[in-house]
Amino acid sequence: MTATVYTETVVYLAPEAFASDVPYQVVIVTLENGSRLTGRILGDRVAIDDRVEQVETREGVPFFRKTL
Amino acid sequence: MRTVAVVAAGKTPFGAFADRDLRSLAVEAGVKCLKNGHVSPTQVEAFYLGNFAGPSFTGQNHLAPYISSAIGIRDVPSTRFEAACASSGSAFFHAFSAVAAGLYDCVLVAGVEKMTSQPTARVTEILAGAGDCSGEIKAGSTFPSLFAMIARRHMHQYGTTREHLAAVAVKNHANGALNPDAHMRKVITMEQALNARPVAEPLYLYDCSLISDGAAAVLLMPLDRARDFTDKPVRVLGIAQASDFLALDQKADITTFPAVRRAAQKAYEMAGVTPRDIQFAEVHDCFTVAEIVAIEDLGFVDKGCGGPYEASGATARTGEKPINSTGGLKSKGHPVGATGVAQLCDIVSQIRGEAGDMQLKRHSLGLAQNLGGSGASCVVSIMGNV
Repeated sequence: MTATVYTETVVYLAPEAFASDVPYQVVIVTLENGSRLTGRILGDRVAIDDRVEQVETREGVPFFRKTL
Repeated sequence: MRTVAVVAAGKTPFGAFADRDLRSLAVEAGVKCLKNGHVSPTQVEAFYLGNFAGPSFTGQNHLAPYISSAIGIRDVPSTRFEAACASSGSAFFHAFSAVAAGLYDCVLVAGVEKMTSQPTARVTEILAGAGDCSGEIKAGSTFPSLFAMIARRHMHQYGTTREHLAAVAVKNHANGALNPDAHMRKVITMEQALNARPVAEPLYLYDCSLISDGAAAVLLMPLDRARDFTDKPVRVLGIAQASDFLALDQKADITTFPAVRRAAQKAYEMAGVTPRDIQFAEVHDCFTVAEIVAIEDLGFVDKGCGGPYEASGATARTGEKPINSTGGLKSKGHPVGATGVAQLCDIVSQIRGEAGDMQLKRHSLGLAQNLGGSGASCVVSIMGNV
C-alpha cells in the first residue's frame, strides 16, 4: 500500500513504552482513497509530500518506508 | 435565560509543590474564592469540578465530593467534569448553563491538577490519554508530537517559521516574569528558545508548556444576586463549548480546530461582539503553535497569518491585542484541569483592574479560550464589565 506524507515529526521525549525507539518518526499519511492513517517510519526520514509504502504492521500500527 | 456573573475568584500559585496534595490545592482555591465573595460554604448550591487525570496522577477517584466536603460544602450536587485540558472550562460552561437556566443561584466552580508527583515519562503517558489511544497514541504519538505535526503542516501551508513559534515563547515568558503566581518567572531570549533541545521536531523545549500543580476557583451567581455580594460583578457575556474528533488523522485540515471556530462563533454571537472588539485574551498555548492557531481560529487574524502577527509584537502587553498577558500556559504553568478556570480568574482580575504589574490599559472586554486534547473539546468565554 502506498501513501503520501501529510505531516511528520521526530519524537525525542517518549513514554516508557517507546523510550527505546527514541528518536523515532511519526507520520500521518494520506492513502490513495483520501483517508488518513497515523503510523511510523522505518529507515530514512521523510518530509511532507514524500511517497511511502507500508512495509509491515506491528500490533496494529502501520510502518512505512520511503519509496525511491 | 438569566444573566450570569462571576462574583469572586481564588487560586493557588502554579508550580511544583512537593508538599501539597491534590485536595489541599483545590480546597485552598475554593476557600479563597468563597472568602473573596463573602459567601459561606453552606450557601453553595452546587459544586462543579474540572479535573483531567487526578485518578491517574494520584490514585484518587470520586474527586468532586472528596474536595467539596473538605471545603465545607454539604448535601448538594458535586460533580467532576473531564474534557482533557478543557476540563475546568467545561465545568464552568455547565455551571453557567445551570445558573442561567435558573436551577441554582450560587455555584462554585473549581479546577485542579496535581502533576509533579510523577516522572516526566509517566506524565507524558497520562497526557497521551487525551488522544485517540486506538490509533495515533498506539503509534507512538505524544502530545508534543501531535502539536509538532500541526506545526509542520502550518509551516508547510503558510510559511510559519521556528522564529514565529519562538516569538510566542519569548513574549509569554516576558509576561510571566510579571506574574507573582507564575510557575516559571523567567525571561528568555530568542536564541535560548531556538537553541533548546528538541522534544518533537519542530517543537523544542521552550515551545512546550509546563508540568505544574495548581488550582483555581470562581463563584457564579445570577447578576441581580451578584450585586448583593460585590461592587464589581464580571458578566459572562458569551460562552460556548464545542467538540470534534480526538484523532488528528480524522481531521480534514489539522492547521485549524473546528471546535474552536464553532465555540468562538457562538460565543461572539451570544455576546453581540466581534473578534475586533475583544481587548485582550487568554488563549490555550499548551504549545507555541497552539497560540498561533488559536488567534487565527478566534478570528483575531486571517488564517495563516498568526506567525507574522505574533512576531510583529501585536500580541505583546503593549500591542494592539495583548494575548496571554499573564504568561499563558507556557510560563504561568499548565496544571491541566485547573487551566480553564485559572484563565477566567485572570480575565476577572484584569477586568476589575486588579492585575497589579500585569494590568493592561484596555481591559473591559476579555476572552478566554480553553482547548482539550488536540482540539476535540473547546470552551470560549467572553467576559465584560457590567
